[in-house]
Amino acid sequence: MKQFITGNHSVAEAARRCRPGIVAAYPITPQTPIYEKLSEMEASGELGGIMMRMESEHSSMAACISASLTGARTFTATSSQGLALMHEMLHFASGARTAIVMACVNRTLALPWAFWSDQTDTLSQRDTGWMQIYVEHNQEALDSVIQAFRIAEQVLLPCMVVLEANFISHFMEPVDVPSQEDVDSFLPEVNLPRRFDIDNPSYVAGVVSQSQYRDFKQLSQEAMYVAQETAEKVDQEFGSFFGRSYGLVEAQDLADAELVLVTSATITSTARVALRQLREKDHKIGLVKIRLFRPFPTEHVRKLLDPVSKIAVIDRNISLGREGIFCAEVKAALCNSPVKKQIQGYLAGIGGTDVDVDLIQRIVLDALSRDAFLDRPIWMKEE
Amino acid sequence: MLEIRFSGRGGQGVVMASQMLGFAFFKAGFYPQCFSVFGGERRGAPVVSFLRIDQEKILLKCGIKHPNEMIYLDDSLIDPQEVKSLLKSDGKILINTRQTVAAFKPLHAFTLGLVDARAISEQQGLGRTFNTAILGAYCRLSGKPSLEALMESIEEMVPAKKKANLAAARQAYERLEIK
Repeated sequence: MKQFITGNHSVAEAARRCRPGIVAAYPITPQTPIYEKLSEMEASGELGGIMMRMESEHSSMAACISASLTGARTFTATSSQGLALMHEMLHFASGARTAIVMACVNRTLALPWAFWSDQTDTLSQRDTGWMQIYVEHNQEALDSVIQAFRIAEQVLLPCMVVLEANFISHFMEPVDVPSQEDVDSFLPEVNLPRRFDIDNPSYVAGVVSQSQYRDFKQLSQEAMYVAQETAEKVDQEFGSFFGRSYGLVEAQDLADAELVLVTSATITSTARVALRQLREKDHKIGLVKIRLFRPFPTEHVRKLLDPVSKIAVIDRNISLGREGIFCAEVKAALCNSPVKKQIQGYLAGIGGTDVDVDLIQRIVLDALSRDAFLDRPIWMKEE
Repeated sequence: MLEIRFSGRGGQGVVMASQMLGFAFFKAGFYPQCFSVFGGERRGAPVVSFLRIDQEKILLKCGIKHPNEMIYLDDSLIDPQEVKSLLKSDGKILINTRQTVAAFKPLHAFTLGLVDARAISEQQGLGRTFNTAILGAYCRLSGKPSLEALMESIEEMVPAKKKANLAAARQAYERLEIK
Protein backbone atom coordinates (compact mmCIF):
# COMPACT_ATOMS: atom_id res chain seq x y z
CA MET A 1 0.00 0.00 0.00
CA LYS A 2 1.26 3.49 -0.88
CA GLN A 3 2.06 5.63 2.15
CA PHE A 4 3.38 9.19 2.44
CA ILE A 5 6.31 8.64 4.81
CA THR A 6 9.92 9.56 5.52
CA GLY A 7 12.94 7.41 4.68
CA ASN A 8 13.47 6.67 8.37
CA HIS A 9 9.86 5.53 8.68
CA SER A 10 10.30 3.40 5.54
CA VAL A 11 13.33 1.69 7.10
CA ALA A 12 11.41 0.95 10.31
CA GLU A 13 8.45 -0.47 8.33
CA ALA A 14 10.86 -2.70 6.38
CA ALA A 15 12.72 -3.86 9.48
CA ARG A 16 9.48 -4.75 11.27
CA ARG A 17 8.21 -6.78 8.34
CA CYS A 18 11.47 -8.77 8.36
CA ARG A 19 10.49 -10.00 11.86
CA PRO A 20 13.78 -9.32 13.69
CA GLY A 21 14.25 -11.28 16.91
CA ILE A 22 16.43 -8.52 18.35
CA VAL A 23 16.81 -4.80 17.71
CA ALA A 24 19.62 -3.32 19.84
CA ALA A 25 20.18 0.39 19.27
CA TYR A 26 20.98 3.80 20.64
CA PRO A 27 19.43 7.05 19.33
CA ILE A 28 21.39 9.66 17.40
CA THR A 29 20.25 12.43 15.02
CA PRO A 30 19.27 11.83 12.19
CA GLN A 31 18.73 8.11 12.84
CA THR A 32 16.56 8.68 15.96
CA PRO A 33 13.17 8.42 14.21
CA ILE A 34 14.06 4.83 13.20
CA TYR A 35 14.77 4.05 16.86
CA GLU A 36 11.57 5.78 18.00
CA LYS A 37 9.39 4.06 15.41
CA LEU A 38 10.75 0.60 16.23
CA SER A 39 10.31 1.41 19.93
CA GLU A 40 6.65 2.32 19.33
CA MET A 41 6.20 -0.86 17.31
CA GLU A 42 7.63 -2.93 20.14
CA ALA A 43 5.34 -1.22 22.66
CA SER A 44 2.26 -1.90 20.51
CA GLY A 45 3.30 -5.51 19.93
CA GLU A 46 3.77 -4.99 16.17
CA LEU A 47 7.52 -5.57 16.25
CA GLY A 48 7.29 -9.13 17.47
CA GLY A 49 10.91 -9.18 18.62
CA ILE A 50 12.74 -7.58 21.51
CA MET A 51 14.04 -4.00 21.39
CA MET A 52 17.12 -3.47 23.56
CA ARG A 53 17.63 0.21 24.41
CA MET A 54 21.39 0.28 24.87
CA GLU A 55 23.68 2.75 26.65
CA SER A 56 25.92 3.37 23.62
CA GLU A 57 26.47 2.35 20.01
CA HIS A 58 29.50 0.28 21.00
CA SER A 59 27.26 -1.74 23.32
CA SER A 60 24.52 -1.86 20.67
CA MET A 61 26.84 -3.57 18.22
CA ALA A 62 28.17 -5.91 20.93
CA ALA A 63 24.58 -6.94 21.72
CA CYS A 64 23.81 -7.40 18.02
CA ILE A 65 26.86 -9.65 17.56
CA SER A 66 25.82 -11.90 20.45
CA ALA A 67 22.21 -11.97 19.25
CA SER A 68 23.20 -12.89 15.71
CA LEU A 69 25.48 -15.66 17.01
CA THR A 70 22.54 -17.20 18.91
CA GLY A 71 20.80 -17.46 15.53
CA ALA A 72 18.44 -14.49 15.90
CA ARG A 73 17.62 -12.13 13.04
CA THR A 74 19.23 -8.88 14.21
CA PHE A 75 18.74 -5.25 13.23
CA THR A 76 20.19 -1.94 14.37
CA ALA A 77 20.58 1.61 13.08
CA THR A 78 22.96 4.50 13.66
CA SER A 79 24.66 7.60 12.22
CA SER A 80 27.90 9.53 12.24
CA GLN A 81 29.50 9.63 15.72
CA GLY A 82 27.51 6.55 16.71
CA LEU A 83 28.95 4.61 13.80
CA ALA A 84 32.43 5.86 14.62
CA LEU A 85 32.00 4.67 18.22
CA MET A 86 30.93 1.26 16.89
CA HIS A 87 34.03 0.96 14.74
CA GLU A 88 35.86 -1.62 16.88
CA MET A 89 32.78 -3.84 17.11
CA LEU A 90 32.17 -3.63 13.35
CA HIS A 91 35.30 -5.70 12.79
CA PHE A 92 34.10 -8.21 15.40
CA ALA A 93 30.72 -8.46 13.65
CA SER A 94 32.21 -9.32 10.26
CA GLY A 95 35.04 -11.42 11.70
CA ALA A 96 32.50 -13.55 13.57
CA ARG A 97 30.53 -13.86 10.31
CA THR A 98 27.32 -12.50 11.80
CA ALA A 99 24.34 -11.56 9.62
CA ILE A 100 23.46 -8.23 11.25
CA VAL A 101 21.62 -5.67 9.12
CA MET A 102 22.22 -2.05 10.06
CA ALA A 103 20.62 1.07 8.63
CA CYS A 104 23.18 3.88 8.57
CA VAL A 105 21.93 7.43 8.08
CA ASN A 106 24.79 9.47 6.62
CA ARG A 107 25.66 12.51 8.70
CA THR A 108 28.72 14.73 9.00
CA LEU A 109 31.42 13.62 11.41
CA ALA A 110 32.66 16.12 14.02
CA LEU A 111 34.45 18.48 14.11
CA PRO A 112 32.89 20.85 13.22
CA TRP A 113 29.56 19.70 14.62
CA ALA A 114 26.71 19.49 12.11
CA PHE A 115 23.65 17.40 11.23
CA TRP A 116 23.54 17.07 7.46
CA SER A 117 24.24 14.42 4.87
CA ASP A 118 27.86 13.51 4.20
CA GLN A 119 28.92 9.98 3.24
CA THR A 120 32.31 10.07 4.92
CA ASP A 121 30.92 8.42 8.08
CA THR A 122 29.99 5.14 6.34
CA LEU A 123 32.72 5.23 3.73
CA SER A 124 35.34 5.45 6.47
CA GLN A 125 34.00 2.04 7.64
CA ARG A 126 34.86 0.66 4.21
CA ASP A 127 37.46 -1.81 5.47
CA THR A 128 35.48 -3.30 8.36
CA GLY A 129 34.30 -6.28 6.32
CA TRP A 130 30.66 -5.13 6.07
CA MET A 131 28.66 -5.04 2.88
CA GLN A 132 27.41 -1.55 2.02
CA ILE A 133 24.39 -0.59 -0.11
CA TYR A 134 23.87 3.13 -0.92
CA VAL A 135 20.27 4.07 -1.72
CA GLU A 136 18.74 6.81 -3.86
CA HIS A 137 15.26 7.29 -2.36
CA ASN A 138 12.85 6.14 0.34
CA GLN A 139 11.50 3.21 -1.66
CA GLU A 140 15.00 1.90 -2.30
CA ALA A 141 15.80 2.28 1.42
CA LEU A 142 12.80 0.13 2.33
CA ASP A 143 13.45 -2.46 -0.38
CA SER A 144 17.17 -2.66 0.39
CA VAL A 145 16.58 -3.50 4.06
CA ILE A 146 14.50 -6.51 3.02
CA GLN A 147 17.11 -7.54 0.43
CA ALA A 148 19.93 -7.06 2.96
CA PHE A 149 18.51 -9.67 5.33
CA ARG A 150 18.31 -12.21 2.52
CA ILE A 151 21.89 -11.52 1.41
CA ALA A 152 23.47 -11.28 4.87
CA GLU A 153 21.86 -14.47 6.16
CA GLN A 154 22.79 -16.40 3.04
CA VAL A 155 26.50 -15.47 2.99
CA LEU A 156 27.03 -14.78 6.72
CA LEU A 157 28.36 -11.27 6.37
CA PRO A 158 26.83 -8.17 8.00
CA CYS A 159 25.30 -5.52 5.77
CA MET A 160 24.82 -1.75 6.05
CA VAL A 161 21.95 -0.09 4.20
CA VAL A 162 23.09 3.50 3.81
CA LEU A 163 20.61 6.36 3.48
CA GLU A 164 21.33 10.07 3.55
CA ALA A 165 20.31 12.54 6.22
CA ASN A 166 17.54 14.94 5.28
CA PHE A 167 16.90 14.03 1.64
CA ILE A 168 15.97 10.47 2.66
CA SER A 169 15.88 10.27 6.46
CA HIS A 170 13.49 13.18 7.07
CA PHE A 171 12.15 13.43 3.53
CA MET A 172 8.50 12.46 2.98
CA GLU A 173 7.42 10.97 -0.34
CA PRO A 174 5.04 8.24 -1.49
CA VAL A 175 6.41 4.78 -0.70
CA ASP A 176 4.92 1.42 -1.59
CA VAL A 177 4.96 -0.47 1.71
CA PRO A 178 4.65 -4.22 1.05
CA SER A 179 2.29 -6.40 3.04
CA GLN A 180 3.58 -8.69 5.79
CA GLU A 181 2.46 -11.69 3.73
CA ASP A 182 4.54 -10.61 0.73
CA VAL A 183 7.65 -9.99 2.84
CA ASP A 184 7.15 -13.37 4.51
CA SER A 185 7.01 -15.03 1.09
CA PHE A 186 10.19 -13.30 -0.07
CA LEU A 187 12.24 -13.54 3.12
CA PRO A 188 12.31 -17.03 4.63
CA GLU A 189 12.22 -17.56 8.38
CA VAL A 190 15.59 -17.02 9.99
CA ASN A 191 17.80 -20.09 9.85
CA LEU A 192 21.24 -19.01 11.05
CA PRO A 193 23.76 -21.32 12.67
CA ARG A 194 23.37 -21.21 16.47
CA ARG A 195 26.93 -20.62 17.53
CA PHE A 196 26.30 -19.13 20.95
CA ASP A 197 24.34 -21.00 23.61
CA ILE A 198 22.98 -18.53 26.16
CA ASP A 199 22.30 -21.32 28.71
CA ASN A 200 25.86 -22.48 28.45
CA PRO A 201 27.84 -19.34 27.56
CA SER A 202 31.43 -19.61 26.39
CA TYR A 203 34.04 -17.50 24.64
CA VAL A 204 33.43 -17.28 20.91
CA ALA A 205 36.38 -15.12 19.86
CA GLY A 206 39.25 -17.59 19.79
CA VAL A 207 42.94 -16.75 19.55
CA VAL A 208 44.51 -17.97 16.31
CA SER A 209 47.96 -18.32 14.76
CA GLN A 210 49.28 -16.06 12.00
CA SER A 211 48.39 -18.45 9.22
CA GLN A 212 44.95 -19.18 10.68
CA TYR A 213 44.28 -15.43 10.81
CA ARG A 214 45.31 -15.06 7.17
CA ASP A 215 43.09 -17.97 6.16
CA PHE A 216 40.11 -16.48 8.01
CA LYS A 217 40.57 -13.24 6.07
CA GLN A 218 40.91 -15.14 2.80
CA LEU A 219 37.64 -16.94 3.52
CA SER A 220 35.95 -13.63 4.27
CA GLN A 221 37.21 -12.18 1.00
CA GLU A 222 35.86 -15.22 -0.86
CA ALA A 223 32.55 -14.74 0.96
CA MET A 224 32.51 -11.18 -0.40
CA TYR A 225 32.71 -12.54 -3.98
CA VAL A 226 29.81 -14.85 -3.18
CA ALA A 227 27.99 -11.91 -1.59
CA GLN A 228 28.20 -9.96 -4.82
CA GLU A 229 26.59 -12.78 -6.81
CA THR A 230 24.03 -13.27 -4.07
CA ALA A 231 23.19 -9.56 -3.95
CA GLU A 232 22.58 -9.57 -7.69
CA LYS A 233 20.40 -12.69 -7.56
CA VAL A 234 18.42 -11.42 -4.57
CA ASP A 235 17.80 -8.09 -6.31
CA GLN A 236 16.57 -9.90 -9.44
CA GLU A 237 14.27 -12.14 -7.41
CA PHE A 238 13.04 -9.09 -5.53
CA GLY A 239 12.30 -7.52 -8.92
CA SER A 240 10.25 -10.46 -10.14
CA PHE A 241 8.37 -10.64 -6.83
CA PHE A 242 7.77 -6.95 -6.06
CA GLY A 243 8.27 -5.38 -9.50
CA ARG A 244 11.19 -3.21 -8.35
CA SER A 245 14.89 -3.92 -8.78
CA TYR A 246 17.95 -1.71 -8.74
CA GLY A 247 20.99 -3.70 -9.82
CA LEU A 248 24.39 -3.47 -8.17
CA VAL A 249 25.29 -0.69 -10.59
CA GLU A 250 22.72 1.07 -12.75
CA ALA A 251 23.44 2.58 -16.16
CA GLN A 252 21.38 5.09 -18.15
CA ASP A 253 21.96 6.42 -21.69
CA LEU A 254 25.48 5.03 -22.12
CA ALA A 255 25.17 4.04 -25.82
CA ASP A 256 25.87 7.46 -27.35
CA ALA A 257 27.48 9.17 -24.34
CA GLU A 258 30.38 11.57 -24.90
CA LEU A 259 30.85 11.71 -21.13
CA VAL A 260 29.63 9.49 -18.31
CA LEU A 261 28.71 10.90 -14.90
CA VAL A 262 29.18 8.52 -11.96
CA THR A 263 27.04 9.15 -8.87
CA SER A 264 25.70 7.48 -5.75
CA ALA A 265 22.68 7.94 -3.48
CA THR A 266 20.33 10.96 -3.73
CA ILE A 267 22.54 13.01 -6.06
CA THR A 268 21.73 10.35 -8.67
CA SER A 269 18.05 11.25 -8.59
CA THR A 270 18.64 14.97 -9.21
CA ALA A 271 21.25 14.05 -11.85
CA ARG A 272 18.58 12.19 -13.83
CA VAL A 273 16.73 15.51 -14.23
CA ALA A 274 19.93 17.46 -14.92
CA LEU A 275 21.07 15.06 -17.66
CA ARG A 276 17.63 14.89 -19.28
CA GLN A 277 17.68 18.68 -19.65
CA LEU A 278 21.23 18.58 -21.06
CA ARG A 279 20.15 15.98 -23.63
CA GLU A 280 17.53 18.44 -24.87
CA LYS A 281 20.46 20.79 -25.55
CA ASP A 282 22.25 17.99 -27.40
CA HIS A 283 24.78 17.13 -24.69
CA LYS A 284 24.78 13.34 -24.65
CA ILE A 285 25.73 12.37 -21.12
CA GLY A 286 25.48 8.88 -19.65
CA LEU A 287 24.84 8.10 -16.00
CA VAL A 288 26.22 5.30 -13.82
CA LYS A 289 24.89 4.92 -10.29
CA ILE A 290 26.92 2.82 -7.89
CA ARG A 291 24.58 1.14 -5.42
CA LEU A 292 26.68 -1.68 -3.98
CA PHE A 293 29.95 -0.29 -2.61
CA ARG A 294 31.17 -3.35 -0.67
CA PRO A 295 31.77 -5.78 -2.19
CA PHE A 296 32.74 -3.38 -4.98
CA PRO A 297 31.22 -4.63 -8.27
CA THR A 298 34.40 -4.17 -10.30
CA GLU A 299 33.31 -6.39 -13.24
CA HIS A 300 30.01 -4.52 -13.54
CA VAL A 301 31.75 -1.16 -13.49
CA ARG A 302 34.29 -2.34 -16.06
CA LYS A 303 31.67 -3.79 -18.36
CA LEU A 304 29.85 -0.43 -18.41
CA LEU A 305 32.81 1.94 -18.38
CA ASP A 306 35.54 0.05 -20.27
CA PRO A 307 34.49 1.59 -23.62
CA VAL A 308 34.14 5.11 -22.18
CA SER A 309 37.01 7.59 -22.37
CA LYS A 310 35.69 10.57 -20.34
CA ILE A 311 34.25 10.15 -16.86
CA ALA A 312 33.23 12.60 -14.14
CA VAL A 313 32.58 11.34 -10.60
CA ILE A 314 30.58 13.27 -7.98
CA ASP A 315 31.39 12.62 -4.33
CA ARG A 316 29.54 13.84 -1.23
CA ASN A 317 32.46 12.64 0.88
CA ILE A 318 36.21 13.02 1.04
CA SER A 319 39.22 10.99 2.07
CA LEU A 320 41.29 13.96 3.24
CA GLY A 321 44.68 14.04 1.58
CA ARG A 322 43.36 12.05 -1.36
CA GLU A 323 39.99 12.67 -3.05
CA GLY A 324 36.34 11.62 -3.15
CA ILE A 325 36.10 7.95 -2.23
CA PHE A 326 33.79 6.78 -5.04
CA CYS A 327 36.16 8.49 -7.49
CA ALA A 328 39.19 6.69 -6.06
CA GLU A 329 37.32 3.36 -6.25
CA VAL A 330 36.20 3.95 -9.84
CA LYS A 331 39.76 4.84 -10.87
CA ALA A 332 41.08 1.68 -9.19
CA ALA A 333 38.44 -0.49 -10.84
CA LEU A 334 39.33 0.85 -14.30
CA CYS A 335 43.13 0.77 -14.10
CA ASN A 336 43.33 -2.38 -16.26
CA SER A 337 40.80 -1.11 -18.77
CA PRO A 338 42.00 -1.35 -22.41
CA VAL A 339 40.62 2.11 -23.35
CA LYS A 340 42.63 5.07 -22.09
CA LYS A 341 40.56 7.22 -19.75
CA GLN A 342 40.28 10.67 -18.34
CA ILE A 343 38.55 10.67 -14.96
CA GLN A 344 37.80 13.87 -13.06
CA GLY A 345 36.58 13.89 -9.47
CA TYR A 346 34.18 16.59 -8.24
CA LEU A 347 33.33 17.22 -4.61
CA ALA A 348 29.74 18.38 -4.26
CA GLY A 349 27.29 18.31 -1.40
CA ILE A 350 29.88 17.90 1.33
CA GLY A 351 28.48 18.93 4.71
CA GLY A 352 24.99 18.43 3.30
CA THR A 353 25.25 21.44 1.01
CA ASP A 354 22.65 21.54 -1.74
CA VAL A 355 23.37 19.71 -5.01
CA ASP A 356 20.76 20.96 -7.45
CA VAL A 357 20.21 20.55 -11.18
CA ASP A 358 22.26 23.64 -11.92
CA LEU A 359 25.29 22.45 -9.93
CA ILE A 360 25.25 19.03 -11.61
CA GLN A 361 25.02 20.66 -15.04
CA ARG A 362 27.98 22.92 -14.19
CA ILE A 363 29.99 19.81 -13.27
CA VAL A 364 29.13 18.12 -16.55
CA LEU A 365 29.87 21.22 -18.65
CA ASP A 366 33.17 21.69 -16.85
CA ALA A 367 34.20 18.10 -17.59
CA LEU A 368 33.09 18.39 -21.23
CA SER A 369 35.14 21.51 -21.87
CA ARG A 370 38.19 20.55 -19.85
CA ASP A 371 41.47 19.86 -21.64
CA ALA A 372 43.41 18.74 -18.60
CA PHE A 373 41.86 16.25 -16.19
CA LEU A 374 43.33 16.74 -12.74
CA ASP A 375 44.52 14.20 -10.21
CA ARG A 376 43.07 16.43 -7.50
CA PRO A 377 39.32 16.75 -6.98
CA ILE A 378 37.52 19.98 -7.89
CA TRP A 379 35.38 21.60 -5.17
CA MET A 380 32.00 22.64 -6.53
CA LYS A 381 29.89 25.15 -4.63
CA GLU A 382 26.39 26.59 -4.93
CA GLU A 383 26.25 29.91 -6.83
CA MET B 1 5.22 21.37 -10.54
CA LEU B 2 4.19 23.46 -7.56
CA GLU B 3 6.83 24.48 -4.99
CA ILE B 4 5.80 25.86 -1.59
CA ARG B 5 7.98 27.38 1.13
CA PHE B 6 6.72 27.49 4.74
CA SER B 7 8.32 29.90 7.25
CA GLY B 8 7.66 30.12 10.94
CA ARG B 9 9.26 29.72 14.32
CA GLY B 10 10.11 26.60 16.29
CA GLY B 11 7.02 25.59 18.28
CA GLN B 12 4.47 26.94 15.78
CA GLY B 13 4.12 23.59 14.03
CA VAL B 14 5.72 24.64 10.75
CA VAL B 15 7.05 21.19 9.87
CA MET B 16 3.79 19.52 10.87
CA ALA B 17 1.84 22.03 8.74
CA SER B 18 3.90 21.21 5.65
CA GLN B 19 3.50 17.48 6.29
CA MET B 20 -0.27 17.74 6.78
CA LEU B 21 -0.64 19.72 3.56
CA GLY B 22 1.60 17.19 1.78
CA PHE B 23 -0.58 14.38 3.09
CA ALA B 24 -3.72 16.22 1.91
CA PHE B 25 -2.23 16.47 -1.61
CA PHE B 26 -1.27 12.78 -1.39
CA LYS B 27 -4.89 11.93 -0.47
CA ALA B 28 -6.04 14.00 -3.45
CA GLY B 29 -3.91 11.84 -5.80
CA PHE B 30 -0.88 14.09 -6.22
CA TYR B 31 2.81 13.18 -5.78
CA PRO B 32 4.13 15.29 -2.87
CA GLN B 33 7.63 15.65 -1.43
CA CYS B 34 8.10 17.31 1.95
CA PHE B 35 11.32 18.32 3.72
CA SER B 36 12.55 20.84 6.27
CA VAL B 37 15.56 22.87 7.23
CA PHE B 38 16.24 23.07 10.93
CA GLY B 39 19.26 22.80 13.15
CA GLY B 40 19.31 23.07 16.91
CA GLU B 41 15.60 22.49 17.57
CA ARG B 42 14.40 25.22 19.89
CA ARG B 43 11.30 27.32 20.36
CA GLY B 44 11.32 30.67 18.62
CA ALA B 45 14.11 29.92 16.14
CA PRO B 46 13.20 30.42 12.47
CA VAL B 47 12.18 27.16 10.77
CA VAL B 48 11.72 26.62 7.04
CA SER B 49 9.88 23.70 5.50
CA PHE B 50 9.27 22.83 1.85
CA LEU B 51 6.67 21.04 -0.20
CA ARG B 52 6.84 20.03 -3.87
CA ILE B 53 3.70 18.83 -5.64
CA ASP B 54 3.30 17.25 -9.04
CA GLN B 55 1.05 14.82 -10.91
CA GLU B 56 4.03 12.51 -11.58
CA LYS B 57 6.93 11.18 -9.55
CA ILE B 58 9.38 13.96 -8.59
CA LEU B 59 13.07 13.10 -8.89
CA LEU B 60 14.59 16.30 -7.46
CA LYS B 61 16.46 15.78 -4.18
CA CYS B 62 17.53 19.37 -3.60
CA GLY B 63 16.28 22.57 -2.04
CA ILE B 64 13.63 24.93 -3.43
CA LYS B 65 15.18 28.24 -4.50
CA HIS B 66 12.23 29.99 -6.13
CA PRO B 67 8.89 28.81 -4.76
CA ASN B 68 5.54 29.48 -6.43
CA GLU B 69 3.96 30.04 -3.05
CA MET B 70 5.16 31.19 0.37
CA ILE B 71 3.35 30.61 3.64
CA TYR B 72 4.27 32.67 6.70
CA LEU B 73 3.07 31.40 10.06
CA ASP B 74 4.73 34.43 11.68
CA ASP B 75 4.50 37.87 10.06
CA SER B 76 7.56 39.14 11.96
CA LEU B 77 9.71 36.96 9.70
CA ILE B 78 8.66 38.73 6.49
CA ASP B 79 11.43 40.63 4.75
CA PRO B 80 9.93 42.12 1.54
CA GLN B 81 13.34 42.14 -0.17
CA GLU B 82 13.80 38.44 0.59
CA VAL B 83 10.30 37.62 -0.63
CA LYS B 84 10.92 39.50 -3.89
CA SER B 85 14.23 37.69 -4.45
CA LEU B 86 12.71 34.25 -3.78
CA LEU B 87 9.10 34.19 -4.91
CA LYS B 88 8.21 33.69 -8.59
CA SER B 89 6.72 36.87 -10.12
CA ASP B 90 3.24 35.31 -10.41
CA GLY B 91 3.56 33.87 -6.90
CA LYS B 92 1.19 33.83 -3.95
CA ILE B 93 1.85 34.62 -0.28
CA LEU B 94 -0.28 33.48 2.63
CA ILE B 95 0.30 35.21 5.95
CA ASN B 96 -0.99 34.57 9.45
CA THR B 97 -1.42 38.10 10.74
CA ARG B 98 -3.57 40.54 12.70
CA GLN B 99 -2.59 43.35 10.36
CA THR B 100 -4.49 44.56 7.31
CA VAL B 101 -3.51 44.48 3.64
CA ALA B 102 -2.11 48.03 3.88
CA ALA B 103 0.66 46.80 6.19
CA PHE B 104 2.07 44.63 3.37
CA LYS B 105 2.28 47.31 0.70
CA PRO B 106 5.74 46.25 -0.62
CA LEU B 107 4.22 42.86 -1.50
CA HIS B 108 1.20 44.12 -3.41
CA ALA B 109 2.64 42.91 -6.73
CA PHE B 110 1.91 39.35 -5.58
CA THR B 111 -1.38 37.64 -4.80
CA LEU B 112 -1.73 38.11 -1.07
CA GLY B 113 -3.80 36.04 1.36
CA LEU B 114 -4.26 37.24 4.94
CA VAL B 115 -5.85 35.37 7.81
CA ASP B 116 -5.77 35.74 11.59
CA ALA B 117 -5.24 32.02 12.11
CA ARG B 118 -4.11 32.53 15.68
CA ALA B 119 -7.35 34.27 16.72
CA ILE B 120 -9.48 31.66 14.94
CA SER B 121 -7.62 28.86 16.69
CA GLU B 122 -7.83 30.54 20.09
CA GLN B 123 -11.61 30.82 19.66
CA GLN B 124 -11.71 27.08 19.00
CA GLY B 125 -9.83 26.41 22.23
CA LEU B 126 -6.59 25.46 20.49
CA GLY B 127 -4.44 27.97 22.39
CA ARG B 128 -1.35 28.80 20.39
CA THR B 129 -1.64 25.94 17.91
CA PHE B 130 -2.85 27.45 14.67
CA ASN B 131 -1.18 25.43 11.93
CA THR B 132 -4.39 23.66 10.89
CA ALA B 133 -6.15 27.02 10.47
CA ILE B 134 -3.47 28.35 8.14
CA LEU B 135 -3.87 25.21 6.00
CA GLY B 136 -7.62 25.82 5.68
CA ALA B 137 -6.82 29.31 4.40
CA TYR B 138 -4.27 27.80 2.01
CA CYS B 139 -6.84 25.54 0.32
CA ARG B 140 -8.97 28.60 -0.43
CA LEU B 141 -6.04 30.72 -1.70
CA SER B 142 -4.54 28.02 -3.90
CA GLY B 143 -7.75 26.26 -4.98
CA LYS B 144 -6.15 22.86 -4.21
CA PRO B 145 -6.18 20.47 -2.56
CA SER B 146 -9.88 20.40 -1.77
CA LEU B 147 -10.95 21.32 1.74
CA GLU B 148 -12.25 17.74 2.06
CA ALA B 149 -8.78 16.29 1.37
CA LEU B 150 -7.32 18.63 3.98
CA MET B 151 -9.99 17.59 6.49
CA GLU B 152 -9.08 13.92 5.98
CA SER B 153 -5.41 14.75 6.46
CA ILE B 154 -6.03 16.71 9.68
CA GLU B 155 -8.30 13.95 10.98
CA GLU B 156 -5.50 11.39 10.51
CA MET B 157 -2.48 13.43 11.52
CA VAL B 158 -3.53 15.74 14.36
CA PRO B 159 -2.78 14.01 17.65
CA ALA B 160 -5.47 15.79 19.78
CA LYS B 161 -8.54 18.10 19.62
CA LYS B 162 -9.45 16.86 16.15
CA LYS B 163 -12.88 18.55 16.09
CA ALA B 164 -11.49 21.95 17.09
CA ASN B 165 -8.72 21.68 14.49
CA LEU B 166 -11.20 20.77 11.75
CA ALA B 167 -13.44 23.69 12.74
CA ALA B 168 -10.47 26.10 12.77
CA ALA B 169 -9.40 24.99 9.27
CA ARG B 170 -12.94 25.48 7.94
CA GLN B 171 -13.31 28.92 9.53
CA ALA B 172 -9.96 30.09 8.19
CA TYR B 173 -11.01 28.84 4.73
CA GLU B 174 -14.10 31.03 4.98
CA ARG B 175 -12.43 34.06 6.53
CA LEU B 176 -9.39 34.35 4.27
CA GLU B 177 -8.94 37.82 2.82
CA ILE B 178 -7.44 37.85 -0.67
CA LYS B 179 -5.88 40.81 -2.40
